[in-house]
Amino acid sequence: MTEHATDWLGVPSEWRRLEKDVGAYHDGELRGRRLRQVEAHLAECPTCRAELERLRALATLLQESPAPADLMPPDRFVAQVGLRLPRRSERTVWQKGLEIGWRVAPLGLLGAWAFAETVFFVAGVVLIALRVGIGGEFLPRFRWDALQSAHPAWLVQMVSLLGLDLSGASESILQVLSGWGWGVTLHLVTLVVVGLLYFSWLASWWARRQHQRMQPASMSASTPTPTPTAGSRADGRADGRDRYPRPQS
Amino acid sequence: MGRGSPSTEEELELIARAKQGDRHAFGELVRRHREGVVNVVYRMCGDANLAEDAAQEAFIRAWQHLPGYRPRSPFRNWVYRIATNAARDVLRRERETVDVDKLSLTAQDAGPEAKLVGRERGERVRLAVLALPPASREVLVLREYEGLSYREIADTLEIPIGTVMSRLNYARSWLRKSLAPYLEEL
Repeated sequence: MTEHATDWLGVPSEWRRLEKDVGAYHDGELRGRRLRQVEAHLAECPTCRAELERLRALATLLQESPAPADLMPPDRFVAQVGLRLPRRSERTVWQKGLEIGWRVAPLGLLGAWAFAETVFFVAGVVLIALRVGIGGEFLPRFRWDALQSAHPAWLVQMVSLLGLDLSGASESILQVLSGWGWGVTLHLVTLVVVGLLYFSWLASWWARRQHQRMQPASMSASTPTPTPTAGSRADGRADGRDRYPRPQS
Repeated sequence: MGRGSPSTEEELELIARAKQGDRHAFGELVRRHREGVVNVVYRMCGDANLAEDAAQEAFIRAWQHLPGYRPRSPFRNWVYRIATNAARDVLRRERETVDVDKLSLTAQDAGPEAKLVGRERGERVRLAVLALPPASREVLVLREYEGLSYREIADTLEIPIGTVMSRLNYARSWLRKSLAPYLEEL
C-alpha cells in the first residue's frame, strides 16, 4: 500500500493505523468504535478498498486448495486411534495422598512457623517475668542459679579475653547476652528452615506449573511415544505412503 | 459446535469421562475433531497420508495428556495445539517432502493453460502454502482453513496476538507475491 493517498498528503498516523486494520477488518476481528472507524475509512479510501478486495481474493484462492482426499472413513480412523491408545496409569491411593500432602504443605509450614513464634514469645515472656521476680512462686522447682550458670563456653571465653570478671555488672550483662544469643540463634534457625522449605515448595510448584503449561509444546521436541501398534497401521499398510505421491514441482 | 465456540456441555461431559479412562467417550471426541485435526496437519505437512498418521499420533498424545487438560480453553484449540506440534514433528522427519525453492519457482512459471485448470491452480496454492515458513504457515492455516480468531490462534500456539497478526500479514504478503498470476485471474 505504498501509493496510499495518505503518503503524500502527510495525513496523520491515525490513517496509517486504519490501513493496518484492514486485515483485522477482513478477519472480522474489529468491534464497536474501531469497526465503525475502519468502515468509514473504507468508504472514502479506494486504496484500502482495493487492499480489502485483494485480501478477499486471496482467501477465495486459498479455498481452492483441495482438502485432503482419499481419507479413511471416520469409524476406521476412530478404531485405529482406539487400537493405538496406551493404557493410562491410574494413580494409587498413596500417590493421591502425596498429592494432597503436597498441596497443603504451605499451610503446614505456616502452622509450624506460627507455632515456633508462639513458643519463642511465651518463653521470652516467662523468662522476663522470672527475671524480674514475677511468678516464681508458681515454679517452685525453678532454679534461677542453674540458669544463670549455663553460659555457653564461647561466651565465657570471650568475656575472659576481654579482661572482665564474672561478677556484678559483668555477670548481669553475660546473662542477658547468653539468653539473647540463644534465643536469637534458635529464632533465626527456625526462620531459615521454614523459609527454605517454603521457597523449595514454591520452586517445585512453579516448575510443575511450567511443565503442565508446556506439555503439548514439549511433546513436539520428543519422539512419538511408542505404542503397541506404532509404526504399523491397522489397514495393513506399513506406512501407507504409496497412496499419495510426494508433491512434485 | 460452532467455530470459536467453547466446548459444549455435552463435550465437557465426554472430556470428563475420557479423563476417567472412558475410551468410548474419547473415541467420540476423536470422531468430532478428526476432520479439523487431519486438515490442520495436512495443510502443515502437505501429505494426506502423513496427515492421517500425524493426526492419530496427536490424538494419542491428547489421550495421554488429557488428565492435565483444563477446560479454560476449548478442547478443539487444545487438540489443535497438539496437532500443530505433531505436524512440526512430521516436518522435521520429512524435510525432503517439499523443496521450497522449487515450489516458489514453479508457482511463478506456471503457464497460462495450467492456470485455467482449477485443479492445477488448487495444487499450486497448496504448494505455495507449503513453501511458507512453518511458523507463518500454522497461523495462516488456523486462520484461513480453520477459521480461528486471533485470540484463539494466540492461545493455541501460545504466542502473543501481535505475533499472530505479524505472521499472518507476512504469510499473506508472501502468498500474494507467489500466487500473483492466479490472483489476477480472480
